[in-house]
Amino acid sequence: MSTPARRRLMRDFKRLQEDPPTGVSGAPTDNNIMIWNAVIFEEYPNKPPTVRFVSHMFHPNVYADGGICLDILQNRWSPTYDVSAILTSIQSLLSDPNPNSPANSMAAQLYKENRREYEKRVKACVEQSFID
Amino acid sequence: MSEEPEPMDTDNQKSEKMFTLKKWNAVAMWSWDVECDTCAICRVQVMDACLRCQAESKKDYYGKQDCVVVWGECNHSFHYCCMSLWVKQNNRCPLCQQEWSIQRMGK
Repeated sequence: MSTPARRRLMRDFKRLQEDPPTGVSGAPTDNNIMIWNAVIFEEYPNKPPTVRFVSHMFHPNVYADGGICLDILQNRWSPTYDVSAILTSIQSLLSDPNPNSPANSMAAQLYKENRREYEKRVKACVEQSFID
Repeated sequence: MSEEPEPMDTDNQKSEKMFTLKKWNAVAMWSWDVECDTCAICRVQVMDACLRCQAESKKDYYGKQDCVVVWGECNHSFHYCCMSLWVKQNNRCPLCQQEWSIQRMGK
């Protein structure tokens, strides 16, 4: 059955394919580094989707269970956001962590105080995800 | 008090006229009096029925889809259906985050 949430998602998908944000692909690829999943509710876009990393992440703003600490996925959500907007925000969070609001205090501390060790841990995490 | 210009001066100005207007074309431009013509919530044109009404194919007495547009004080417009669901959770404009209050409704 075609619900409003599904129809809206089809529009999001079309936009993602026609006008993908830099570094984001709207098609399945086989060279994924990190696996994540998103649960989209029937209340979408009035409620944000639940986005969670399945691969283990070492990032100041990712919880141990893979949950992402991102304001637009929580209290700052607006129904004008779409899948492209969420992906762009996650992409930006990955490359530019916010260690002042940590979900992983160890990662935040290393990011601030010992960038080399932080990068080593991230690299190990990515290599592990290739094996899994 | 300024002196009245002498008649002689105006004659001089007439003879010094460099060009005359022979023809002029008026051009009119128009646009919707809203900032955006697409409902940012469901991403359908505000003048068409919203996704929800399209899915339920709600029709009024005359067989037309009865899905109206609502303008906020901030001049952002959305489908009334889309906006009424959102304001239940958060009474702010989804585009500018201003407190939402309806300016007008209609087509």
